[in-house]
Amino acid sequence: MSIAPDDIDQAGADAGDAGMAGPRGANGPLRTLIATVGMALFFMAIGAQLVRLALMGLGEDSISLTSTVAQSFARPDIVDRNGRLLATDVEAYSLFADPARVIDRDEVVEKLALVFSDLDRAALRKDLSDRSRRFVWVRRGLSPRTAQEVHDLGLPGLDFRRELRRAYPGGRLAGHLLGYVNIDNKGVAGIERYVDDVVGVESVQGATLAERPPVRLSIDIGVQHAVEAELADAVRRYEAKGAAGLVLDVNSGEVLAAASLPTVDPARPNMSLDTGNLDKIAGSTFELGSVFKTLTVAMALDAALVTPETVVDVRKELPAGRFTIKDLHPLRRPLSVAEIFIHSSNVGAAILATQAGTPHVQDFLRRLQLLEPMRTEAGPIAAPQLPQRWGDVETMTIAYGHGIAVAPLQFAAAAATAINGGHKLTPTFIKRQPDSSIAEIPLLSTATSDSMRVLMRRNVADRVGTGKRAEVNGYEVGGKTGTAEMPGVGGYREKAVISSFLAAFPMSNPRYLVFVLLFEPKGTQEAGGEVLASRNAAPTAGRVVARVGPLLGLLPAQAAAPGASSVAFDGASPAKYEAR
Amino acid sequence: MRIVILAALMMTLVSAFVLYSSNYDTRQLEERVADQERAIEKARGDIAVLKAERAHLGRPERIEPLARAMGLGPATEQQLAASAAEALARATAESAAAPHKGGR
Repeated sequence: MSIAPDDIDQAGADAGDAGMAGPRGANGPLRTLIATVGMALFFMAIGAQLVRLALMGLGEDSISLTSTVAQSFARPDIVDRNGRLLATDVEAYSLFADPARVIDRDEVVEKLALVFSDLDRAALRKDLSDRSRRFVWVRRGLSPRTAQEVHDLGLPGLDFRRELRRAYPGGRLAGHLLGYVNIDNKGVAGIERYVDDVVGVESVQGATLAERPPVRLSIDIGVQHAVEAELADAVRRYEAKGAAGLVLDVNSGEVLAAASLPTVDPARPNMSLDTGNLDKIAGSTFELGSVFKTLTVAMALDAALVTPETVVDVRKELPAGRFTIKDLHPLRRPLSVAEIFIHSSNVGAAILATQAGTPHVQDFLRRLQLLEPMRTEAGPIAAPQLPQRWGDVETMTIAYGHGIAVAPLQFAAAAATAINGGHKLTPTFIKRQPDSSIAEIPLLSTATSDSMRVLMRRNVADRVGTGKRAEVNGYEVGGKTGTAEMPGVGGYREKAVISSFLAAFPMSNPRYLVFVLLFEPKGTQEAGGEVLASRNAAPTAGRVVARVGPLLGLLPAQAAAPGASSVAFDGASPAKYEAR
Repeated sequence: MRIVILAALMMTLVSAFVLYSSNYDTRQLEERVADQERAIEKARGDIAVLKAERAHLGRPERIEPLARAMGLGPATEQQLAASAAEALARATAESAAAPHKGGR
């Protein structure tokens, strides 16, 4: 650094002339150059390091130690068809202990028992005594207030993690359908299981909410509540042991309400496991009784064996194996097919089925998807129970709904085919996209469907119809009653019945099907001392229709101008309750 | 030559200072980002809780008794009309027919 530039030049020029440059003169500039380059490299390295640090930071300096211990799942919300919330994740605190850091085991257990009255002290003491463990769950899913109480105890060795916990703001509403999740927020049953299997959940640490869009069900909270409330009312009125009801869109297959009483709370999974609380809509099968005649008559009409006016002699009781088939209120005269339906003649239905023959009946029921197990988004529907040996006797009893047990939802789907113009219907709990078209697979002729509409309407509108108590002014309700004796030990129990009513409205162009079942109703004063469906299930179905009709925006006949739309407002108007 | 070296020295010092200060700024910004991410997370959590609370308060099981206590009831088919004009005409006709009865 001490040599000026001039000197270097001169030294270089002199070297050639003199030819005797000393070692010091030749090395001086070179050494300087090496030093300069070295220094430059040194500073450049420092600069580069500074740039690197500025750009990348110091990197993660925290290491998660509990990563494998506590994993949970972030789930998308579940909303109804109008966007109203049915299930969501909220943040909750979970309490854990580090046995190695617990000083006084007994103090921890006793003080925690003050906050959690149901604490299992022995188990906790045992967990805490194992000093080799560093992580023991004490209690999960605490509310902020409880967490604060525990925090205020000031016990060393206890700590909290923030976790996600499933909340069901609707309480018990649609509890059976929603299913439930386990302690790690993983879906176990019902729609929650579907969310895991099909929609997908995110595995998370801590309390990170899911980013996925909500799962939109076909259920309408208003309709669901109306059905549940009317069923609860019916259980009180007729002192029934249970009830079930569903509302089904007969064109799209969307289920707008599916209720089963006693209801369950999705936040308490143990309730759902109680056999008394089983889902009666899709989780159990029943012999449904006379509502099945809807299908028998539809079959006879569809096979062109009869017309509604064909007269059948039903005066004689029919011998069928060990017993005889008889009518509850025999009219002692030949009846037309329409009258067989309206007076619910067992003998008539059996004759129609016999006329068609066993293979044809089987084929027909198979076509309506009644003989094979079916599944929905909420899981498999309880598989139909068929006779082990299906002979002519079984064909006769199946004609009026005995000897075959199916889940009400599966039956409702088949019955909807009989009135929706005859096309195939697959029940769904997920809302259909408005633009998605439904492939119409014809199963029955349109003429059959038209005749069934007329017959079902007559059964309600007629003075002698068994369904006359289901009439609702303006909604053209049609339907069929069913009173089935429940099987007991060694035969049927006469006074223990399932009374049901299969209704649809408006019958001139059916939009919705309503199926109501009452389990073991009593002959209360209101029901005229009888347990017949015409006295309990039919009026219940009428009340359900009267309540859900306006909710669904259906314009009653007396208000609709001729030729105008039958819809008062769009019941599916979007984003009414949308949160985002 | 001396000037060049001095200039290089100055450049080094200046760039070191610039780098240091930008590094410092970056860290501050990173902290702010982390703060805001925490705030977003907290806000999202709060929104989830508030949404759940709103849905819980608006559940039909709770609204129905309250509405009934106020004298309201489920909508009936009588309350639907094809158009506003028709509804008005019907209401007028009803009140003319029964002036003492309140509409329900």
